[in-house]
Amino acid sequence: MMLRVVGKRLLGAAAGGQASPALAPAARRGYHERVVDHYNNPRNVGTFDKDDPDVGTGLVGAPACGDVMKLQIRVDEGSGRVVDARFKTFGCGSAIASSSVASEWVKGKQMEEIVAIKNTEIAKHLSLPPVKLHCSMLAEDAIKAAVKDYEAKKVKLAKADE
Amino acid sequence: MASRKLLLGLTAGRRLRSRTHQLFSVANLLEASTSHSPAAAVASTQPSGGSPAALLFSLRTISSTRQATQSAGDASGRSAVDHKLIMPEDEFHKLADETIHDLLEKLEEYGDSIQMDGFDIDYGNQVLTLRLGDLGTYVVNKQTPNRQIWLSSLVSGPSRFNWDAATNGWIYKRTRANLVQLLEEEIGELCGTPVELS
Repeated sequence: MMLRVVGKRLLGAAAGGQASPALAPAARRGYHERVVDHYNNPRNVGTFDKDDPDVGTGLVGAPACGDVMKLQIRVDEGSGRVVDARFKTFGCGSAIASSSVASEWVKGKQMEEIVAIKNTEIAKHLSLPPVKLHCSMLAEDAIKAAVKDYEAKKVKLAKADE
Repeated sequence: MASRKLLLGLTAGRRLRSRTHQLFSVANLLEASTSHSPAAAVASTQPSGGSPAALLFSLRTISSTRQATQSAGDASGRSAVDHKLIMPEDEFHKLADETIHDLLEKLEEYGDSIQMDGFDIDYGNQVLTLRLGDLGTYVVNKQTPNRQIWLSSLVSGPSRFNWDAATNGWIYKRTRANLVQLLEEEIGELCGTPVELS
């Protein structure tokens, strides 16, 4: 309840006037509802232990660019399924929302499925404006980087066992 | 709970303030904790006091992997930044500005010639915005720390172009696409009339 009020207020502030939720987003320069939601209630913020063999860590971006995303996945070795995810992002509201969405979408999926998650889907889900499409791309990159890290770890561990 | 708010509050509280302030605060901290300082440009500015929220952000995570994966379509993963290989900033600005100004001119001429409804070109703060009526918007801007030109295309989405001296053009590593050629193809297609941007 509180959140909707805050959300409305934020959207209202952007519109500079009475905010009626029925107004189309295109009519004002504001963040889409879903972005505001993820910003106020980001899902899965946190960290896993990087050295945990079940964890893959994707770290993308650079502070100088204004965006850094860290996405971590915990994979169940037996099934190859992502059982949990955490993210931390430094960046704009759209970047935070994109990585929050990514952290939600990877849960419960197979690794092959999550590398198929496209930035266009994330961007569409959040109604990102053209200038923010790069944030969704970064989120897609973060997912792929996390998977890559997990696979690389497994290879290393397998070699160590030999 | 509080730390989470602060972490994300970094952007909330500072949304109204200049983004550059944010960048330089954190970059300054990064500089202090790693031997590799990312962009020389950052070092030349005076950050006005640390941002407390930025300190809460786990620097260990960033600094432990040096320069994080550049999402420039570099499929090989993380690579430490070698400063000898980074294009000097003024050279980058020269090349990028030339390209973008060129595009601006040619697109303006194109717009005048085709008389398309809702065709609008805008260049402000070094960002080129091309509105194609109801079809959507293109955005072209410089991403200086990466020495890239970033494009947001309503056809092909976001892409990042690096200068390729060999072909004298801006290339998106993932697709080997050339920036100017890509725009020519897409815009020509969308507006129904071929356009010459090179």
